[in-house]
Amino acid sequence: MAVQDFLLASLVLSCLAASSYGTSFSSLPATLIVSASTKQGQVLKAGEDKITVTWSLNTSLPAGTDSAYKTVKLKLCYAPVSQKDRGWRKTEDDLEKDKTCQHKIVAQPYSPSNNSFTWTVQKDVPTATYFIRAYVHNSADEEIAYGQTTDVHKTTNLFKIKAISGRHVSRYCLCLLLCFLYCVFVWILLLGEEEI
Amino acid sequence: MRSFHLAWISFFTCFISTFAAAPLVPIIRDNLNLTRSDIGNAGVASVSGSIFSRLVMGVICDLIGPRYGCAFVNLLVAPVVFSVAFISSAEGYLVARFMIGFSLATFVSCQYWTSIMFTSSIIGTVNGVAGGWGDMGGGVTQLLMPFLFHVIKVSGATPFTAWRIAFFIPGWLHVIIGVMVMTMGQDLPDGNLSTLQKRGDVAKDNFSKVLKNAVTNYRTWVFFLLYRFSMGVELCINNVIAEYFYDRFNLKLHTAGVIAATFGMANFAARPLGGYASDVAARKFGMRGRLWILWIVQTLGGVFCIWLGRANSLSIAITSMILFSIGAQAACGATYGIIPFVSRRSLGLISGLTGAGGNFGGGLTQLVFFSTTRFSTANGLMYMGVMAVACTIPVAFVHFPQWGSMFFPASKSGGNSEESYYSSEWNEDEKEKGLHHGSLKFAENSRSERGKRREIAAAVTPPGYNSTPDHV
Repeated sequence: MAVQDFLLASLVLSCLAASSYGTSFSSLPATLIVSASTKQGQVLKAGEDKITVTWSLNTSLPAGTDSAYKTVKLKLCYAPVSQKDRGWRKTEDDLEKDKTCQHKIVAQPYSPSNNSFTWTVQKDVPTATYFIRAYVHNSADEEIAYGQTTDVHKTTNLFKIKAISGRHVSRYCLCLLLCFLYCVFVWILLLGEEEI
Repeated sequence: MRSFHLAWISFFTCFISTFAAAPLVPIIRDNLNLTRSDIGNAGVASVSGSIFSRLVMGVICDLIGPRYGCAFVNLLVAPVVFSVAFISSAEGYLVARFMIGFSLATFVSCQYWTSIMFTSSIIGTVNGVAGGWGDMGGGVTQLLMPFLFHVIKVSGATPFTAWRIAFFIPGWLHVIIGVMVMTMGQDLPDGNLSTLQKRGDVAKDNFSKVLKNAVTNYRTWVFFLLYRFSMGVELCINNVIAEYFYDRFNLKLHTAGVIAATFGMANFAARPLGGYASDVAARKFGMRGRLWILWIVQTLGGVFCIWLGRANSLSIAITSMILFSIGAQAACGATYGIIPFVSRRSLGLISGLTGAGGNFGGGLTQLVFFSTTRFSTANGLMYMGVMAVACTIPVAFVHFPQWGSMFFPASKSGGNSEESYYSSEWNEDEKEKGLHHGSLKFAENSRSERGKRREIAAAVTPPGYNSTPDHV
């Protein structure tokens, strides 16, 4: 009986899970103009270099376009060359499943102009080629518009980030451990004499 | 019992470090800029190294005993685990995982050690417990490594440094266990192998004879194939499941690790269950029961693997994964309930060959189904299940003249006794020197594999048994 209940529960859960969809990216209008201080092909160092991002509403749009705009979230996104052969960075139209933009830069309340943010590239950003995208959210925190530093095909204004290697601290620990190992080996050899 | 615990713990430690990278792959792949094929190839490499090392360990066990083999492997792999901290490229990652994978040879020393320290009627259970608790390392590592990573990160390290430092813990464990095996272990019930060989109580054997005996026994190859689809599949899953749950169901690294861990942790009970079921079946039906149990659980494991590949929701995926893990791991336990009876003379080598087959299968499966973008991971799981079901059928062809097979009873013609089966592994010269005594002792012990049917009078002693003089 318990098994049947469990199976029924999982069936119900799975139906519920299947019914939740995210917003579709292709339905979002590109209403923000976003630009960054990076130049095409520039290489930035994680943990050291800074990027300044500025964004504003496209003034050629009719008034009232931004009536529902509440927050702007800036994200660092992978360019197609860094998505190749890496399924965990795949672009999907369903924004719930989309993995293009995995690194948050900042979230700020929306304002139509004079927006700027300087970000120090964080130490956990991997080596890859990127662009920056800004998503506009309404009060229900759903995406309703966007803007990005690159073109529709994601080919222009791309920049590279070089990650930290993460190796320097380990060297220190390793030396200590090697000494310990050495002592252990000597001890075994001495013990071995008695055994055989 | 001390040797029992040393055997399974040393194997457990090796499982931990071989699969230590798997739950951390989402961090490692960003640090080293890996592609899916880099990750897949490293996973293949991690289980391929031990194809060779398990064979070598089998020989070492037969010739110089499991204690030395086990201790040396642990002590040699420790520096490699420490060196993971220095990896800077996909190639380095591959080489490190390949070399750490050599340590899975301790599976053979573990099973060999327990096979010779315990009596045959409980061999399935003992081997199953030792093997299962060791395999559990593959599950524990999915919890341990993300936990260590998190603790180190919280104490101030960046993610790309934290994962490197986390590897020091398994490295230390190898050193400690290697030392313990050397100082506290014992090869045989009567003492250590080298001492017994010097005293003349145990014969020193010849490698080429041991090898020939193993490869000319067709049963060795059936189990080489079969184990691919219980253990091989398990090894493959250890490498891909955390990443699969992380990517497919959008879970946090920690959560994916927990789920993946339940797969490996099921070994705590599932593999012993397989061994125990094998022993229980043997009590009533003898070896035929053992063969049937193996076929049943391994096929069920394959079926649930197919279900896992097709599951679209998290809860169904977890359910099918747990059932699949029980089936596959019980099959591993059931396999090693049979292996000790395939040969006495070449027990180590056959254990090694079967174990190597498991790894070969794991590597091949990972390469074919999980290293390219041709199949999604979900479809890869489904096809792997299909192959497991198909390739379990050959167990029906394993026939022991003295005990029978799945569909046929023991051969009726006379001269088919346990003694004749096991002494046929030695030629006349060797029998004259009395080298086959260990095998005869085992043969008598193994009469329990007849099951409840005991018509063949145990009183009939085969020629040469009592007339060979006791040599000092």
